[in-house]
Amino acid sequence: MTSTVSGAGIAVAPIDFTDRTLPNGLRVLLVEDHRVPSVAINVGYRVGGKDDPPGRSGFAHLFEHLMFKGTKNTRPETIDRLTEDIGGLNNAFTADDITNYYEVVPSNYLETLLWAEADRLGSLAVTEEHFHTERDVVIGEYDQRILAEPYGMLDELINREAFAVHPYRRGVIGDPENLRAATLDDVVAFHRTFYRPDNAVLVVVGDLDPAQANAWIDKYFGRVPKPAAPIPRVTAVEPPQTAERTYTYRAANVPLPAVEYAYHIPEWRHPDAPALDIVETLLGMGKSSRLYQSLVYRSRVATTAHANADLREQAGLFSLRAIASTGTPIEQVRAALDAEVERLHAELPEAGEMERVRTQIASSFVRSRQTYNNIAVALVRSAIERDDPGALNTDLDRYRAVTAADVQRVARKYLTLENRTTIDYLPL
Amino acid sequence: MSQPIVALEKPPSPGAPHRAELPVAVERTLANGMRVIAFPQRSAPKAYAVPIIAAQLIVRGGASAETEAEAGLATLTTSLLTQGTVNRSAVEIAQAIDGLGARLDASSGYDASVASLTALTPVFPTAFALFDEIVRRPSFPQAEVERVRAKAIGDLALSYSSPSALARFVAQRVAFGSAPYGHPVAGTAETLATLDRERIVAFHAHYFRPDNATLIVGGDCVPEEAFALAERQFGDWRAPSAPLPVHAPSTPPPPRTRIVIIDKPDAGRTAVVAGRLGIARRAPTYAAGVVATAVLSGYSGRLNQEVRVKRGLSYGASAQLIARREPGLFLASTLVDHTKVEEAVGVVLDTLRGLASAPPEASELVTRKATISGGFSRSVETIDGIAGVLGELALYGVPLSELGDYLPEIEAVDPEMVQRFAAATFDEIFVVLVGDAEVFSAAIAATHPNVSVIPLDQLDLGQPNATRVP
Repeated sequence: MTSTVSGAGIAVAPIDFTDRTLPNGLRVLLVEDHRVPSVAINVGYRVGGKDDPPGRSGFAHLFEHLMFKGTKNTRPETIDRLTEDIGGLNNAFTADDITNYYEVVPSNYLETLLWAEADRLGSLAVTEEHFHTERDVVIGEYDQRILAEPYGMLDELINREAFAVHPYRRGVIGDPENLRAATLDDVVAFHRTFYRPDNAVLVVVGDLDPAQANAWIDKYFGRVPKPAAPIPRVTAVEPPQTAERTYTYRAANVPLPAVEYAYHIPEWRHPDAPALDIVETLLGMGKSSRLYQSLVYRSRVATTAHANADLREQAGLFSLRAIASTGTPIEQVRAALDAEVERLHAELPEAGEMERVRTQIASSFVRSRQTYNNIAVALVRSAIERDDPGALNTDLDRYRAVTAADVQRVARKYLTLENRTTIDYLPL
Repeated sequence: MSQPIVALEKPPSPGAPHRAELPVAVERTLANGMRVIAFPQRSAPKAYAVPIIAAQLIVRGGASAETEAEAGLATLTTSLLTQGTVNRSAVEIAQAIDGLGARLDASSGYDASVASLTALTPVFPTAFALFDEIVRRPSFPQAEVERVRAKAIGDLALSYSSPSALARFVAQRVAFGSAPYGHPVAGTAETLATLDRERIVAFHAHYFRPDNATLIVGGDCVPEEAFALAERQFGDWRAPSAPLPVHAPSTPPPPRTRIVIIDKPDAGRTAVVAGRLGIARRAPTYAAGVVATAVLSGYSGRLNQEVRVKRGLSYGASAQLIARREPGLFLASTLVDHTKVEEAVGVVLDTLRGLASAPPEASELVTRKATISGGFSRSVETIDGIAGVLGELALYGVPLSELGDYLPEIEAVDPEMVQRFAAATFDEIFVVLVGDAEVFSAAIAATHPNVSVIPLDQLDLGQPNATRVP
């Protein structure tokens, strides 16, 4: 692997990882690094919100919680005891395409945690009682993150309105009514269907001896059988949008009016993805970004303005979101966003601005390499969401190759009115 | 599925632990009185080299130095440091920083105002010169004062809309009243409106001087290089002839059992915050306080076990020990359905009293101390993380050797020390509830003494009793 040089002339060493697949289909990526006496362990499963069973919206996320509720060999919360109680941490997240479980522990506990992760892949056993308690917790999380949090519902609405067909429209957090209807049988079926070695990626980063770590991985993960049944995959394809969709929602707990634009963009593996990341940075990263300068700083029509290239496994959304400043009508905020999109269509960014954006991306990339778990999460996501963990080491080269003309090209191609879903999100 | 009663297979035991090697911080004082602290990159085999240098400049003088009428002055001043210097406009500063891929922040807490910088090694000297410029030569343009003030007032509206955030603001007032830690660091809409440019300029001139400042530089450079950078950049900073700012110790009101309800009918859930006046960072009981808080906090901590795991009342519950230059605050917080408020208050208070009435088991302490050790190890995984820890030690007058001594001090805490801390702290506890009072206030008033209800439109965090003056 070669060293990569960013816009600022900084040599960034590649992440040096080993990559192998066990006979049962489990993909294993290891990175050896001895800066801190700890290891980060990630097990990512190729299942997320989009794979929720019919009528069970939010199930992948509920299931993520149940993976902490005991196995044939352990009581509930064993993973918490095995991590938090030794000064480590553990958590998990569910996204549209992935459910990822991770632990950071002192390195002398690596074998213990490899055993525990293999155990909950191989022998999850949840009781009716724990299932009910945890379902209430997940519904509570919905109340806390979606209902109580200002603008919490807006993400859900954007997915629902922007995708007409693709299950990305259901989001990840799901629907409390669907969750209340779920049964323990659903849990068993879901684990059997998606939690299998050939649907998972194991990543370990940190203070490890590769030979020893591989021996433990063979011992504990190698014995989990590979089922014969095929893994169901989402095959729905979102049809091209042909006309703008506009919606107005009103909700309690909306301190100031907000507007969000969402444009369909392709999947993360698509060659246009790096240019879309550059557009996101140019519009939305830092105080010299165009949206901040224009909407927040100069015209002050907004208190915050963000851009997000949400690149997923099968299809993405590019969104612009602004929260109006006190007293500013939402039409004025929309007009300011429109002007910035129009400017991207009309003018090529100057060389200095392109250089700034590349330097920003390179710097945040280097910063994110400081912790083992960040490296592990980046590898697992790249492995699952674009089927290519090594792409991490060539991302900077791809960013460097994006030209001002590419920026204009993707803006003209994707940031168009007929490809846009608009939501005005207003106080009651 | 069967009940998992018997462990069929036990988890493998750990191997021998590997030791953490923390960098050793060294310090020097420049001729102008500025204290400079340097620390090197850690070296390890197969280490992924991170070419980053971090700097932090801390001046003693923050929100606790403000009068009630000036609440928000320190924060307004530091927010403006990056919004114009004698050489550059706000836009030019932002473009310069983004162009270098650096991070530059400035903010104030109660005890200090802090500017911090991280940058990749090759561009660090350039970024450091800019850092110096914003610290020493801000121009506080009138237009930026207006803009930052308007944004600060808008942000307040946003933070008041979160029940949990609002409950913490109210808790500060309940604990400290008119003492220096009582008013919100961010000020209030009323106080911010009265703060003018002259006061901002005066605040900066008063506190930003080399003999009132500590500079920390470390990461991808050896200490001699860090000292040379500091001398070259800040060596010509002259202290004014005016005497150094004097710190007056605070006298908060004595703790008192009471419940303050903020009626916010549109809240999705009710924030429950139990609190009590705490200890200073330098207090001899600090380590015991950290361990007691760890017994209560975290996923496996007692609060979360009682509130979430056993009863499913909330997504989480946690505790926090906020130790400052002067005694700070102990807080236990959760967020529950409006109909579960009375039960949650009872569970939180019983959990705190439980620790005060009996020492924890030694085995419980072993695991809870491990959480402190793990958390600390992760906080020093990054270069700016190490700079942050050293900055706090320097600010609170704790020896820098604490970087290496902290974990042994935590290890030395025994169950009786924890109980003593809990018994001294979990007494005369106040509770703040922010939510739909109509659902729960009658039940709370029937079961607890000293209950008061403040409708949201009567709340004024600018007043020592948090209530609008009629």
